[in-house]
Amino acid sequence: MTTLATAPTARPRPARAWRAVVRLHRPALVFWALFVALVSAVLLWAYGPGGNAAAAAWRRPCTVDLCDVGYAVDFYHLAYRFCEALITFLPVLVALWAGSMLIGRELENGTAELAWSQSVSPARWLLAKLAVPAALLTAGTTLLVLLHRLLFDAHQVPKGWNWSDSGTFEANGPIAVAYPLLGLALGALAGLIAHRAVRGLIGGLLANATATTLIGLAGPHLVPWRIGVGDLKEGYAAPSGVVHGGEGAVTSAGAHIPDPCTGAGKACPAAHDIVGYYSEYHPSSQFWPLQLTETALILAVTALATAAAFTLLRRRTS
Amino acid sequence: MTGTAAIEAAALGKRFGRRGGWALRDCAFRLPAGRVCAVVGPNGAGKSTLLALAAGLLAPSEGEITVLGGRPGAARERVSYVAQDKPLYPQLTVAETLRMGADLNTDRWDASVAERVVADGDLNPKSNIRALSGGQRTRVALALALAKRPELLLLDEPMADLDPLARHQMMGLLMAQAAESGTTIVMSSHVLAELEDSCDHLLLVDGGQVRIAGEIDELLAAHRRVSAPADTVLDAHTVVESRTTGRQLTALIRPLAPLAADWQTGTPTLEELVLSYLRNPQAPTTKTPETVA
Repeated sequence: MTTLATAPTARPRPARAWRAVVRLHRPALVFWALFVALVSAVLLWAYGPGGNAAAAAWRRPCTVDLCDVGYAVDFYHLAYRFCEALITFLPVLVALWAGSMLIGRELENGTAELAWSQSVSPARWLLAKLAVPAALLTAGTTLLVLLHRLLFDAHQVPKGWNWSDSGTFEANGPIAVAYPLLGLALGALAGLIAHRAVRGLIGGLLANATATTLIGLAGPHLVPWRIGVGDLKEGYAAPSGVVHGGEGAVTSAGAHIPDPCTGAGKACPAAHDIVGYYSEYHPSSQFWPLQLTETALILAVTALATAAAFTLLRRRTS
Repeated sequence: MTGTAAIEAAALGKRFGRRGGWALRDCAFRLPAGRVCAVVGPNGAGKSTLLALAAGLLAPSEGEITVLGGRPGAARERVSYVAQDKPLYPQLTVAETLRMGADLNTDRWDASVAERVVADGDLNPKSNIRALSGGQRTRVALALALAKRPELLLLDEPMADLDPLARHQMMGLLMAQAAESGTTIVMSSHVLAELEDSCDHLLLVDGGQVRIAGEIDELLAAHRRVSAPADTVLDAHTVVESRTTGRQLTALIRPLAPLAADWQTGTPTLEELVLSYLRNPQAPTTKTPETVA
């Protein structure tokens, strides 16, 4: 009878590691909920009352002496810049947290081994550790991007806000969703390598800073540049409100060379056979190609970091 | 006995780092199921490494280890392991820790077992793990380990930070588990006395190798402590240790032939046996037949 009672009759219910992840990282979950709530609230304020007041102030006719648009416009600009700064800074926070609290501290305390000596394999443990925050981050950042786009499309104050401003560009599309995931993967990898909370924190920070810098530098070059050419009199001829790339001089043969005459006299261009100037730029119509290629690049690096983390863990454990 | 082995190791080795020393090397033994096994040996002998390998927390550098008939990782659901420093999540309460145990296990998990183990220790489920004493932490860690209803229970230095009363209670808990469910229990310690009364099987690990493996009774019966004149030749037997003081020779041997009638002989205690092997690293390895992998 006892053997009947203990014999498994069906495939046992699998462990629910995701619930343990939520239980263990409740402070981070609360922080994330507050973060999303705060940024959403500020964006909605800027879209509603803040934006209406700013638009009204902007339309107010100038007096003879001065054009005082009042604080309403300042608050409006401050509101979205604040949100953009938080959205841009989020990946750094995620990398710090993933390197230390999520992974590094667990390995340092031996609590990772406690989890692995329950019925969860190290690989499934890491999967839950990454999947739960990734899902919550994606949900939150998607909401913030949608709200930011709503605000940007309304554009209640016509001046002072450009699609190509770095924070604005990021927060208007999937790049803002992808970067926190990269931070998560790199932080986790750093935590796994470091085996310590503090070292994982520093490693996550450095890895994330390096990767985001390199991707930020490479990103605009992955989409073919438009080239604006001006003659000697016009000088550089990129339109305004664009993403700027390289620039230089054009010779009579049509070659693009670095401008040898910066600050030199008027005779210099002729001496170097220079007939005009070129500038590379991305117009606003390139918004989606730029967003999508950079997002793809970020996600590719994220996938590599994740694969490295799983490989490392599999080699260490049985 | 031909039943399944709880643990079986062949040419097992583990080294940390590519150039690090070997924590374990050339380990071969077989632990039959249903035993209560003491893993003894000096500090740094490789006991913890051996248990972590069996728990599937480390990958062997060479050789093989089989647990309950399969890869250690595949037996995870049926094996419990309590690490030496009893890691627990300090930010959780006792009750939350037990709920986490339920999350991290399949429906083999028996919440009533965990609750009973915790309640028997007069632990308030609402107290924070951070606030517990060493003995209370051990109890919570054991509650997690027992509620899995394991077939194999691996305990690394389980008694190290317990006072004598708590030690006695804990041992009672474990022995009840072994008796009720037939769980194989493997406990390590560098203090033999802690385990001597409760265990029926011994694994002596020293210098990264298994020096003795077998049922304690059989091991004791296989050895003799002899006192004989100093000029006695013991070549007919396997000599673990021999010392000459004055005209007297005292030795611990594994007799391979009948002993001379004029020798004084006796059965060694387990402690004498273990110490003789530890003092004499050149002494041959002893394994009873059922423990040969």
